[in-house]
Amino acid sequence: MSILEAGTVEQAEAVAVKKFKTRGGSSRRPSHWWVPWAFAAPGLALYGMIIGYPLLRSLQISFYKWAVLPTDASTFIGLDNYTRAFNDPEFWRSMANAGVYLVLTVPITMALGLFFAVLLHAKMPGRTLFRVLFYIPVVTSWVVVSLLFKYLFTTDGGAVNWALTDLLPFNLGPVPWLQSRWSAMIAISVLGIWKSVGWCVVVFLAALGGVGEDQYEAAGLDGANAWKKFWHVTVPGIRATILFVLVLQVIGAFNVFISVILMTNGGPAGQTEVPMSYMYKTAFQFLDFGYAAAMSFILAIVIFIVSFIQFKVFADKDEVKA
Amino acid sequence: MRSTRVLPICAAVAMALTACGTGGSSAAPAEATTLATTAAVSGEVTFWHAYSAGGGEIKALTDVIIPAFEAKYPGTTVTAVQIPDSDMHQKLVTGVAGGALPDVIRSDIVTVPELASLKVLLPLNEAMPDFQTWADKMYPGPLATNLYKGKYYGLPLDTNTKVTLANPSALTAMGITAAPATLKDLAAAGAKYGPQGKYVFAASGAGLWDLSPFIWSNGGDVTNADFTKSAGFLNGPKSVAAIQMLVDLYNEKAIPENILGGTGGVGTGDGFGQGLYPTIVDGPWTYPNAVTSFPELKINATPMFSGDGGSISVVGGEDIVMTQGSKNKDAAAAFIRFMLSDDAQVTMAKAGQLSAVSTLAPQMTKIQPYYEPFLEQLKTAKPRIPTPQYAKINDIVTKAAQSAVQGQVTVQAAMDDAVAQIDPLLAQG
Amino acid sequence: MSTTNAAPPSTADTPRAGMSMKRSKNLWVSVRVLVLTAGAILMIVPFVIMVATSLSPNTTTLPNPPKFLPGPFTISNYDIAWNENSFATFFLNSGYVAILTTIVVLVVSSMLAFAFARFDFPFKNVAFSLLLAGLMIPQVVVIVPQFILAKNLGLIDSLNGLVLFYAGGGVAFTTFLLRGFFERIPRELEEAMTVDGAGIVRKFLRLYLPLVRPALATAAIFTFLGAWDEYVWALTVINDVHKRTIQLGIAAFSGEHGTAWGLVFAGSTLAVIPVIIVYIAGQKQLISGQMTGAVK
Repeated sequence: MSILEAGTVEQAEAVAVKKFKTRGGSSRRPSHWWVPWAFAAPGLALYGMIIGYPLLRSLQISFYKWAVLPTDASTFIGLDNYTRAFNDPEFWRSMANAGVYLVLTVPITMALGLFFAVLLHAKMPGRTLFRVLFYIPVVTSWVVVSLLFKYLFTTDGGAVNWALTDLLPFNLGPVPWLQSRWSAMIAISVLGIWKSVGWCVVVFLAALGGVGEDQYEAAGLDGANAWKKFWHVTVPGIRATILFVLVLQVIGAFNVFISVILMTNGGPAGQTEVPMSYMYKTAFQFLDFGYAAAMSFILAIVIFIVSFIQFKVFADKDEVKA
Repeated sequence: MRSTRVLPICAAVAMALTACGTGGSSAAPAEATTLATTAAVSGEVTFWHAYSAGGGEIKALTDVIIPAFEAKYPGTTVTAVQIPDSDMHQKLVTGVAGGALPDVIRSDIVTVPELASLKVLLPLNEAMPDFQTWADKMYPGPLATNLYKGKYYGLPLDTNTKVTLANPSALTAMGITAAPATLKDLAAAGAKYGPQGKYVFAASGAGLWDLSPFIWSNGGDVTNADFTKSAGFLNGPKSVAAIQMLVDLYNEKAIPENILGGTGGVGTGDGFGQGLYPTIVDGPWTYPNAVTSFPELKINATPMFSGDGGSISVVGGEDIVMTQGSKNKDAAAAFIRFMLSDDAQVTMAKAGQLSAVSTLAPQMTKIQPYYEPFLEQLKTAKPRIPTPQYAKINDIVTKAAQSAVQGQVTVQAAMDDAVAQIDPLLAQG
Repeated sequence: MSTTNAAPPSTADTPRAGMSMKRSKNLWVSVRVLVLTAGAILMIVPFVIMVATSLSPNTTTLPNPPKFLPGPFTISNYDIAWNENSFATFFLNSGYVAILTTIVVLVVSSMLAFAFARFDFPFKNVAFSLLLAGLMIPQVVVIVPQFILAKNLGLIDSLNGLVLFYAGGGVAFTTFLLRGFFERIPRELEEAMTVDGAGIVRKFLRLYLPLVRPALATAAIFTFLGAWDEYVWALTVINDVHKRTIQLGIAAFSGEHGTAWGLVFAGSTLAVIPVIIVYIAGQKQLISGQMTGAVK
């Protein structure tokens, strides 16, 4: 469970990790053995019932050729669904698309989110209004914005092509954005970035509130320029939150779904299918629940590995500095 | 507190489902319910449908038809549940898995064989003694969509098909006097106007709903007559030629990229209304949609582009079906009969739903003159493959055709590959 | 990103005033406002289109090019959405579900996160990794076992059932979020309270919870939004029209052969309002949280 040890880097100061790993000490030991359980029980019970148990059922389904009708016999086929997924080029293409989406969206989303959060953190005229405006994409429904973006990226008379050709000096002609794999992935990624920046802003704002003025003084950076202060105080101060946002953005990128369904529906010829849309169709259109469940666990393992690397990278940095 | 309640419910569900299971298996269909026409009915009927809220359909159902039914059968209540069309299939599948389906469903015609194969539907030709009377009144195409392994699992509740629709002002602007009437005319128009940067037509996708009319009208076929084999049909010369024609139109830029999945191009209905696409092949809903969005638009309807096979279009619409698990089958049957009655069918026709009852044809055209070409086309229109595997097969065809449109493979190679995948599915039944 | 853009907030208060400093400070504020305005315009373009379309006559096709101004102006979509489709009921249902979900999630997740952050106990790492796994496994297939569970619990067509499932779904994320904030609280503060003889419950309520108020506010904002915006699960378990949530009400306007865009956009615009209110209220907590931080 080293991912968890790494997970405890949710600590602001750079020295944190080693200290935490070894920290134990009397204050971490409860007065009675049941005290932590009393705090943990309601949440664990709720989670176990609503998510844990259905997930176990889903894991079970992944080993069957599962019959939708409960009274029909499902056939146990062991790991067949998993080997099938490993040999399914469409599944791996969908994974590759999610990877492309991840690379295109996560760094830009986080950079923009942190950038705007820093700007919105300081006192200034109209701050609340700006904070609301940046939150608007987050609250507007995925369905509505996906359809609007599809319209913005329309080939004939779409706003993006209009802007490229008529406003900017690009004479590309009408770009058929959603007609081929990579340009469609770019369009879907633009929506993803636009929709998620506000989410990052909100989380970063909460974290920036925890970086006190005193820490800039303590760092002895009074005379330093803004960039140095940002890099040496702000960033380490919210490192735990950056990791949190990174992990969740990566999970979110692997789970991209509604925008793909509505902007391309995985087309043309399945080239923009992502894991979620492929699983959804496998389960609910083709009724192959066993296979969809197996794919969802393979995806979960991939996400777990990627998250693990993130935790590791962040932890190592800390140790180098310490 | 909760756990004490769970156990009995589980047990009850298990029992109910077991009962269903054996009832649906081929061994014991004999205990089949007989739903007499005369029986006094009462109690609750739940009805799932995907009528549109924007149009008058829901109002017609909840304000006119259901109150009339409840008045005719005192003691009954009908609970109508609207489910958005795009989510209906998911809702049905979850309902099957959880044993939580309603009594009566208005199901898309392509979903009926799948539900029947899942053994959740009651074969109406066995359960309803008056089934044949109703069946005889229907257009054969829509009725055939209810047939699965020799049994009829429903009756057509409404129907539609697609014809060639032309935007005369868009044609005039191009200097064309009449819409292309044949596939050859269409191909010729594409060769002429495509290079000039003008669209002559727009296909909304590359699934069977879009391709079949072209294949059939060109004299090809998707499968053999009893839907057991696609090799030699979908990849036969006439079928391949029909798809090749669309690919050529796309390469000439005479049709927009909507054929690649309805994405990126202006929607066919929108582009048609705006005059971007002078012709489309589409259904009767184009008319009411145009009223709100393009009040100026005149629409000329002509039969589907014809070819060596004639002018053959595809049947769309919905069937009304009853579930095996219904606790109130007599009332459910009464409701089905009521929904198919002339009064209800006429009420729905006024709201935009074309009736599949052939004897109502004269009334239909009186209610909406624009129904006429669709009724005419319905006489020869064919259903898509009535198989539980329809969704998968449609997906295979779509991907194959789109690969060909993109030029990655030849049409022939794409369809050869498709039939190799489809035939094993058809063999599963 | 240029260096000036990334300046930390403290620059403004450095005590080296003077005319040139003041001028550059004003310049800095103007640049910031300019950059933020540009960003904000990009952020709200689709929203403006949505509102403008909702204030125009209803159509089944989206106007192309999109409308930035309503024309001809009408509120008929709002009238139809609100009065003919019991949107008031849907709002009440969604409000009930979202508020209750937020309360349940905040209570159980703050306790759970506190246990994870504050104590060592057996199976802690296992429990936490299972929690994280729940975030990582796509929920698309899980919906069927969940539906069967809901049915067995008698929670079909139940708003409280929605609360239970939304809360269960929100526990992992919120616990993950809060745990990091709990761990940042210096141990010395608690030791000072221990000397005063405070028990663990009192420390939790009086010391820890107030100190993580910004995180609680953030969690509340997201949990409320999640419950308010959720669609697929509500679609799966709610049949009764009187139990519909706002998202189900909006989805009902999309039909088989054409969607009533004016109504969809009117409904979506209305649906955004409560979420914005919760967000503004939450932001106030973020700011007061900062002050607590400063005091310490």
